[in-house]
Amino acid sequence: MNEQISYAEAFEELQEIVSEIEQGEISVDELSIKVKRAAELIKICKTKLTTTEENVNVILKELNESTDGPA
Amino acid sequence: MPEVSQNRQIYSLHEIAQQIQEALSVQFPSAYWIKAELNKLNYYVHSGHCYPELVEKKDGRVIAQMRSVLWRTDYIRVNSQFKQVLNEPLKDGIKILFLANIVFHPEYGLSLRILDIDPGYTLGDLEKEKQETIRKLRAEGIYDQNKKLPFPLLPQRLAIISVESSKGYADFMRIIRAAEEDWNYRFFPMLFPSLLQGDDAVPSMIRQLRQIRKVKHHFDVVAIIRGGGGDIGLSCYNHFQLAKEIAQFPLPVITGIGHATNETVSEMVAFENAITPTKLAEMIIQKYHDFSVPVQGAQEKIVDYSRKMIADEKKKFTAEIRLFRNVSYHLIQRHKTTLRENTRIVARNSQFMFRNERETQQGLVQKLVREVTIYCTNRKHDIARISQGLPRDSQVFLKSKNQELASLESNLNNLKPENVLKRGYSITYLNEHSVTDSSKIKPGDLIHTQLFNGTITSTVHTTSNLSNHE
Repeated sequence: MNEQISYAEAFEELQEIVSEIEQGEISVDELSIKVKRAAELIKICKTKLTTTEENVNVILKELNESTDGPA
Repeated sequence: MPEVSQNRQIYSLHEIAQQIQEALSVQFPSAYWIKAELNKLNYYVHSGHCYPELVEKKDGRVIAQMRSVLWRTDYIRVNSQFKQVLNEPLKDGIKILFLANIVFHPEYGLSLRILDIDPGYTLGDLEKEKQETIRKLRAEGIYDQNKKLPFPLLPQRLAIISVESSKGYADFMRIIRAAEEDWNYRFFPMLFPSLLQGDDAVPSMIRQLRQIRKVKHHFDVVAIIRGGGGDIGLSCYNHFQLAKEIAQFPLPVITGIGHATNETVSEMVAFENAITPTKLAEMIIQKYHDFSVPVQGAQEKIVDYSRKMIADEKKKFTAEIRLFRNVSYHLIQRHKTTLRENTRIVARNSQFMFRNERETQQGLVQKLVREVTIYCTNRKHDIARISQGLPRDSQVFLKSKNQELASLESNLNNLKPENVLKRGYSITYLNEHSVTDSSKIKPGDLIHTQLFNGTITSTVHTTSNLSNHE
């Protein structure tokens, strides 16, 4: 899970995999790869739902910096 | 009374003021309906009276200006009518249609005493202003601009324009926190405090929107939340500058202003108007559900489908094995039968072939015996015939051979040395050896000459070598 993909892309790709599986477009050979990928995507999505990386102090600092500069 | 001095009538200030007062009361005896802009209300809290400053402008320039007075009791009545009809109190900057007496007081000068103000007129004017705001936004092509932004799948980072102490903000945060608790969702709400109603709300909110714009990369949406403050003072949301700021904001703006009156322009141009803070919070959480449910569903579906797929494959595989076993069993059986049949055919055919061969051989043997017999008989006949002819033939043969021998014998006799010597030839010997070459003899050698009858011994005188011999 080295590649950085956005949760929105993860969500979309996950939906694709589900629809492929539902449509029976996946062979047994591919199944394990797809399921592994889906697990990664689900993890990305769930992480997004349950965590946030924003920090009020960082934002306040940025606001102060931009206020100090020429308006 | 005026004094007379040097043919001039001289009035005191009070006297002239009194005369103006009288003249005005004659000229303007009743009250008049007047329309003007309420530039400043000038409400005095202690007395409860207002001294509104009235103006009329033309092309932005003041063309008339007048002081007025609105006594406490009139103010209270008029203000409550305004709140009822407009949801707005009497305030600076509105257009009013009012009933007033023209009064002149010697001490205070000219003013208008306002008896009544028609809220309907102001309402129409405010509505006109609102329509004007909408028209201008449309004319600039920005009315739908915020609505056209993509809405994030998860509105997680919320820039909130509200007041910490407001009920609406409290309602909103309570629901958000409950969702964090109940569903393990995480939000990042950050408050940008602002006035939310009345005329001062416009610059306050614009200022905060501009602050948020500076750090917009930290946020997904802007939420304007108000509630619990009653419905008074919301015409600020129809203000062109505020509505424009919202319409052009680079993030989706969602509103939960919470009021019973008509939708304001700011709410109209916002990405979505959730009406109340509670609804707004629910909308945001619904977005989370809309994301979470398919993810959860995906997990279950993938597990279910994978299991089913593997089970199906197993079943198919088992069926294949059974089929393979059946097919191969039958194949073997069939081959066994064929093999047995072929064995029988080979056995039968080889017996038949043996018999044929044997018969052929017997035929050949019989034929051979017959042929040999015939041959022997023939040879016997030949021998018999030959043996009959043999004595005669051999006598004839012997006779001819005898004759040949006799002739040969006579020839041989002729060649005998005695016979040769008889015919005059002689043989010369030297040392017991016959000489055929004179060169082998030297003068003085003792030679012997053999004649038919007798021998001569002589000494050699000379020799000559005849080469006519060649």
